[in-house]
Amino acid sequence: MATLGLAPNMNPNKSFEVLPNPGDSVSSLSFSPKSNLLVATSWDNQVRCWEIVGGSSQPKASISHDQPVLCSAWKDDGTTVFSGGCDKQVKMWPLLSGGQAQTVAMHDAPVKEIAWIPQMNLLVSGSWDKTLRYWDTRQSNPVHVQQLPERCYALTVNYPLMIVGTADRNLVVFNLQNPQTEFKRIQSPLKYQTRCLAAFPDQQGFLVGSIEGRVGVHHIDDSQQSKNFTFKCHREGNDIFSVNSLNFHPVHHTFATAGSDGAFNFWDKDSKQRLKAFSRCPLPIPCSTFNSDGSIFAYAVCYDWSRGAENHNPATAKTSIYLHSPQESEVKGKPRIATSRK
Amino acid sequence: MGKKKKRVEKVFCYYCDREFDDEKILVQHQKAKHFKCHVCHKKLSTAGGMAIHVLQVHKESVTKVPNAKPERESTEIEIFGMQGIPPDVLAAHYGEEEDPSSKVAKVEVPSLRPPVMPNPAGMVYPPRPAYGVAPPMYNPALNPLMARPPIWPTPPPQPWFTQPVVSVPQMASGLAPQQPLFPIQNMPAPMTSAPTNLLQTSFPMAHVGVPSPVTPQVSQPLFPVSTSAGNGAVSSPYVASVAPGSIPTSSPSVAPAGVGYAATNQGTGGPAAVPPPASNNKAPATQPGANEVYLVWDDEAMSMEERRLSLPKYQVHDETSQMNSVDAAIDRRISESRLAGRMAL
Repeated sequence: MATLGLAPNMNPNKSFEVLPNPGDSVSSLSFSPKSNLLVATSWDNQVRCWEIVGGSSQPKASISHDQPVLCSAWKDDGTTVFSGGCDKQVKMWPLLSGGQAQTVAMHDAPVKEIAWIPQMNLLVSGSWDKTLRYWDTRQSNPVHVQQLPERCYALTVNYPLMIVGTADRNLVVFNLQNPQTEFKRIQSPLKYQTRCLAAFPDQQGFLVGSIEGRVGVHHIDDSQQSKNFTFKCHREGNDIFSVNSLNFHPVHHTFATAGSDGAFNFWDKDSKQRLKAFSRCPLPIPCSTFNSDGSIFAYAVCYDWSRGAENHNPATAKTSIYLHSPQESEVKGKPRIATSRK
Repeated sequence: MGKKKKRVEKVFCYYCDREFDDEKILVQHQKAKHFKCHVCHKKLSTAGGMAIHVLQVHKESVTKVPNAKPERESTEIEIFGMQGIPPDVLAAHYGEEEDPSSKVAKVEVPSLRPPVMPNPAGMVYPPRPAYGVAPPMYNPALNPLMARPPIWPTPPPQPWFTQPVVSVPQMASGLAPQQPLFPIQNMPAPMTSAPTNLLQTSFPMAHVGVPSPVTPQVSQPLFPVSTSAGNGAVSSPYVASVAPGSIPTSSPSVAPAGVGYAATNQGTGGPAAVPPPASNNKAPATQPGANEVYLVWDDEAMSMEERRLSLPKYQVHDETSQMNSVDAAIDRRISESRLAGRMAL
């Protein structure tokens, strides 16, 4: 890498930078399902919203928590943002109406994951207090509390399929048509700590990413276990980095991985190919997301704590959010036919 | 989207027109009849792979697919089961006309970094240079959203999150009949739109006929797959395969175009599931430490976020008395990690 030694290029992929930068590491990114409003939660306690239009990012609004914010989710109608974090609560922010944010969910420990389930009209929150809680946003008590085997680390919902990843490599599969019972509890197919999850668009299974630079492609039904496989990624030389984010493309159903190595890649699990590898950013990518039509891939480049506190210098730490507009060839699954002669 | 039309008819072998009930059997047939190395009887996955194998391993050239009908002997055309069969052959076999344009479209090799193209959903995302300069300073107080709530961009064609619920055929089959739920309002009945099963049989991807077989195909673009769940991380060595990151910065767009999964067959002929035998000769090891391969984040007991939150600056003093399990775990890990001495570098 020729740029080493000099000031590292924060943006080797020449993506578009969302400005102004957040003040500290970004913990989650979420696009509105209805528009190109991007929300980022940050370790500086802020939840910020930008509108991405016509080739520029327009800062729109922000709210703050009392502690670092860890997760965010949009309501399906695109009116409201939920954010949860280390203050052990989830705030509901009626962004479009300009209303005040209010607390709609409480936990006994930081809230690591949240998701809005439109089919149930409920919010689900997963916490390090080892519970999953369902919230009707009008009541202060949870509709249901589901005990988890360990602290919640990752969660993905594609109704009625929901998978929760916890510490100790538990993966708990729920059928949300019957959310009070675990549909299945399995050990992660990966041997190391679960970092991120993404339910297949067809709900037949899920992707799981671990701290050991590996992604598992896992099917839920027993009859499909033979299709499971894992693959390595986000490694360089002797370093094995965490896979921090997994996002399916909403249209093509290929997926992106992003890791602590600062790289992000697009993959097609069906042809088992990497569709595109991007240049490594000088800092980790802790989170990423596609917008609703898959025309924008947003990723944050900032320190994710993967090398501990000793490698964090608050004075020089940089946080950026970049937008990449994927070419179709990058995100469209490769047809598995090759040359055809006319 | 872009998926090949499902055939209702029997599958057939492009090379000899024999019909089969199952594509798996067809693939077996092709490997045994048409893709077998005549020297060592190794079964390859494609004709091209077989030709390359014969050329590289046995120094012989094969130009014709064995046991093939005369006009279908080419090793250039890549056939794997029913994949890759030219439209005209398909049409002739099934007596139906297929739209040739769709076939042609599938063949094009994605170019590296074409100029911005309209995305499939029809929305044009502007080219990068068009991005504006830095917008005005961030101002939370200013909330333009309030100014124009009614004018929202038209919803994207495929709003992801609002997509109608697709039933879970496989999963639901194993479920007890739906039980009464806990009180939930607006619970819609599960819709029964046809589930599109993304996961068709996944085939080892065959590579496009590589013109120069001698090219040291680095494993780079491949999916370093280790098949099947169980053997995931344990049995598969920490072979530091040529990692994604080793792409030269000068060309970030190393497209895997054409270099496929089964391309591993062309080298020394190792099984496809094994990371390709590249120049990379790192000895397999099960202990990261044993081989100087290590996890950058290696704390199984705690996530990065938990570690970060354990910093004093994030501690809220009035609540520290409330020691729940997480805090306890955090404290334990802090002390442990201090003692353990984190990895250098």
